[in-house]
Amino acid sequence: MDVVLLFVMIIGLMLLGVPIAVSLGFASTIFLLVLSDTSLASIAQSFYQAMAGHYTLLAIPFFILASSFMSTGGVARRIIRFSIALVGHFHGGLAIAGVFACMMFAALSGSSPATVVAIGSIVIAGMRQVGYTKDFAAGVIANAGTLGILIPPSIVMVVYASATDVSVGRMFLAGVIPGLLAGTMLMVTIYVIARIRNMPQDPWRGWGEVWESGRDAMWGLFLIVIILGGIYGGIFTPTEAAAVAAVYAFLIANFVYCDMGPLKVAEGERKRTLLHKPIALITAFFHKDTKDTLFEAGKLTITLMFIIANALILKHVLTDEQIPQQVAGAMLEAGFGPILFLVIVNVILLIGGQFMEPSGLIVIVAPLVFPIALELGIDPIHLGIIMVVNMEIGMITPPVGLNLFVTSGVAGMSIMRVVKASLPFLAVLFVFLILVTYVPFISTWLPTLLMGPELVVK
Amino acid sequence: ACDEGEMVIKFSHVTNTDRHPKGIAANLLMERVNAEMDGTACMEVYPNSTLYNDDQVLEAMLNGDVQMAAPSLSKFEQFTKVFRIFDLPFMFKNIEAVDAFQASDAGQEMMQSMARRGLLGLGYWHNGMKQLSANKPLNEPGDAAGLKFRVQPSEVLKAQFEALDASPQPMAFSEVYGALQTGVVDGQENTWSNIYGQKFFEVQDGTTETNHGVLDYLVVTSTDWWDGLDEGVREQLNTIVTEVTNERNAAVAEVDAEARQAVVDAGGEIRELDDAQRQAWVDAMMPVWEQFTDDVGQENIDAAQGINANF
Amino acid sequence: MAGKDAPRSGWGGFVDEFEESVIAVILGLMTIITFINVVLRYGFNTGLIWGLEATSLLFAWLVLFGISYCVKKTAHLGVDAVVNVLPAGPRRLLGLIAGAICIAYAFLLTKGAWDYWSNFANLPQTTGRWFPTGLEEMGRTSYRGWYEVIDIPFPEWLRWIQPIMNDGQDYEKLPRFIPYVILPVGAALLLFRFIQATLRIWRGEANGLIVSHEAEDAIDDVAHLNKGD
Ligand code: NA
Ligand code: NA
Repeated sequence: MDVVLLFVMIIGLMLLGVPIAVSLGFASTIFLLVLSDTSLASIAQSFYQAMAGHYTLLAIPFFILASSFMSTGGVARRIIRFSIALVGHFHGGLAIAGVFACMMFAALSGSSPATVVAIGSIVIAGMRQVGYTKDFAAGVIANAGTLGILIPPSIVMVVYASATDVSVGRMFLAGVIPGLLAGTMLMVTIYVIARIRNMPQDPWRGWGEVWESGRDAMWGLFLIVIILGGIYGGIFTPTEAAAVAAVYAFLIANFVYCDMGPLKVAEGERKRTLLHKPIALITAFFHKDTKDTLFEAGKLTITLMFIIANALILKHVLTDEQIPQQVAGAMLEAGFGPILFLVIVNVILLIGGQFMEPSGLIVIVAPLVFPIALELGIDPIHLGIIMVVNMEIGMITPPVGLNLFVTSGVAGMSIMRVVKASLPFLAVLFVFLILVTYVPFISTWLPTLLMGPELVVK
Repeated sequence: ACDEGEMVIKFSHVTNTDRHPKGIAANLLMERVNAEMDGTACMEVYPNSTLYNDDQVLEAMLNGDVQMAAPSLSKFEQFTKVFRIFDLPFMFKNIEAVDAFQASDAGQEMMQSMARRGLLGLGYWHNGMKQLSANKPLNEPGDAAGLKFRVQPSEVLKAQFEALDASPQPMAFSEVYGALQTGVVDGQENTWSNIYGQKFFEVQDGTTETNHGVLDYLVVTSTDWWDGLDEGVREQLNTIVTEVTNERNAAVAEVDAEARQAVVDAGGEIRELDDAQRQAWVDAMMPVWEQFTDDVGQENIDAAQGINANF
Repeated sequence: MAGKDAPRSGWGGFVDEFEESVIAVILGLMTIITFINVVLRYGFNTGLIWGLEATSLLFAWLVLFGISYCVKKTAHLGVDAVVNVLPAGPRRLLGLIAGAICIAYAFLLTKGAWDYWSNFANLPQTTGRWFPTGLEEMGRTSYRGWYEVIDIPFPEWLRWIQPIMNDGQDYEKLPRFIPYVILPVGAALLLFRFIQATLRIWRGEANGLIVSHEAEDAIDDVAHLNKGD
């Protein structure tokens, strides 16, 4: 009963306009002080240890940084050009290319909104120029943008791995096939709609353009090879992979793409290389662009970690009151089987996603459902992917959905119009959710193939 | 859950509750306290680091937020460096020698040695002797040269691997399996319980039965809390802890042997050392003692060696 | 980009610049230390044994230092669906209530942070469960200046603090009160910024304390691309 009151209080505070982090932290603190003999010092300790004691979460700032270096307009433009060269000549080609570009950008970025902003701003404008309606374009991008957290790297997966002690590397591998599958389902849907409505197609530009644009985009896309290859190849841990990715992205952005830093030139000017200005190797580290990117990534890290740290305080309350055991006991006693259990998880996450930032939600929900899932014989990696897909869908369901907001901002449309526009594709993602929920090997096949069977040590 | 009016004793640890020696012992302790001290005291066990990890738990204990824990002995090096004696390679011949040393005056004194800093030891819980594993065969000490070994944070363990010309690497325990599997690190040292429980043997070439070190835990409480208990309650609690300690420690050799056998049954390679090979490992690692003699005290080393002679 | 809603001149501009630089430098250090350790381990079979712990501490510093800055810049995430549909009057009232709750939160966190840190610095904790009612009487175990971190070596140039903090005994590793000091400092700064932010709402200079999503700034930069139907 107390717990219900706790959650009501958190949601109430959020609706008042209290920051999510403070809503979680304040309600939890009050409960700890009233219900237990835990001291305020212990809450401060939890806060500090949220960062210093959770080694896995260190991947978050690094992936955000890598993504920030890669999120310059130039990288998105190169990826879009490559996508159009590959699939633009199909019916609905530009829309399909938009999904394809979102999938590729998702492989550089750990977050969905970032994907929508980077790809959406350019693709929506491009689609309108060749005659698509704005609604169709926005609907496509809002949905495809959610792939940002399913295709690795993914901040949400890092948080899940940290909350449940499963391997981040495994989670990343598990996201690959579902990510490709969801993207393909969206593209096929667009193709079908395009054939029915006879939507525009671009002329085929030839293999030369595919090669040319592919080579140009490849420097950026190589990031995902570094991350997965480095983890799987035994060069670094997932956390370190994130740091290496950030350094790689810095080098590419400064010295190959020259989208930022000392070698950047105004549009139309001749490109300068390191050979012309070798001193740039030193000055790039101190360039204003570098500092600004570090700062922006730092700021995003701070706001996310503020939420996660306070969610961990809430987790401390739940642990202290032994809520996970009670919930598990009640659910198992009620005789829930795996299927009903997964339905409940889906519903909790879809509702929770209305109010909560995805990473904070995972921190709170994972410890509640994880023990039950293990008891019911559900694979932890599979559960993780289910949770991520739920987060995705939460992002595009009204009333509150992160991607709805972002898309409405990027496309200059009202939220309700974006909601309507994304409905057909939302239906596709729902089918996808059901597939992923009840067909475990979509998630577990690749990690098991490459890293052996999942080991459950609890 | 605890009843109204009962004193709540929180016991926080980092392992599972049903297979790990520490988790099993903690659960037994909880059952006995809750049965025998019903109405007076009530113990709640928080396993799997759900409340605190081993480093945080000691801070929380000093602040009165948790009453009992059982971190591994090397975690107490920050309180007093005497505890480094348990990490020194080949200091103890086997777990029986460890047990005898802990029961001796020197060992009992060490439980009291942190009192000035607010901690009191109530009993040593065994896990077992440590073995060495890597992604290539380790027969001689030279085989470890150039390899990367995951170590627990401890100056002694770092020095031990440096003495082998190997590279000690700190790493969160949860990352070790993946790191061994992919080759981020080449090897690790642990007890049979952990090697089997964490399935490390699956991702290693084999495990060499070196018995070179010991992994044990110390059940601790805060002096402030302990001194504040009623005399009778304190004595009853102390008796229960001691009895649980003796019961579980007596069973640990069996748990250890079962884990070793389970590794063999699961197809894990185990390399036994003959006397000459073992002596080579001793010779390679012994120089580490000198570095830490001042920390642990020559008299303690002498006591340990005197006990070794009996086994 | 950062700080477009604040003047970049004078004292305020300097403080902004300082805070932004600290955030950038900490994240840069974390990245470089981690990267160097990968290179050292993979390429040279060695490593900075303290690198892992140092990076973790810097991570805590990044967030604890930065949360107050993000309050100042209204960058913390929240749900504005309800607030946005309200007329100006009730909205201001809700803003003030939310501000009061944030102040209460930061106040409790600051007390907790002081209580957690102070003993590590041989200073007294406050008494009282909710509000500081006084200072504890220092007991034998309240002096924890000796408590060191795990791996980071003690820097030689700090040896002079040993007589003050550790009875003249040598530190082998960095004492914990040094990294932990960011807790009371960060929490106090957070309290200060929440008070400022609430005053801004009181004076009608601001609408609320939150932003609805992380990409708000980025959207402003691209919104012009898709104007009109
Ligand atoms: Na991604
Ligand atoms: Na939603």
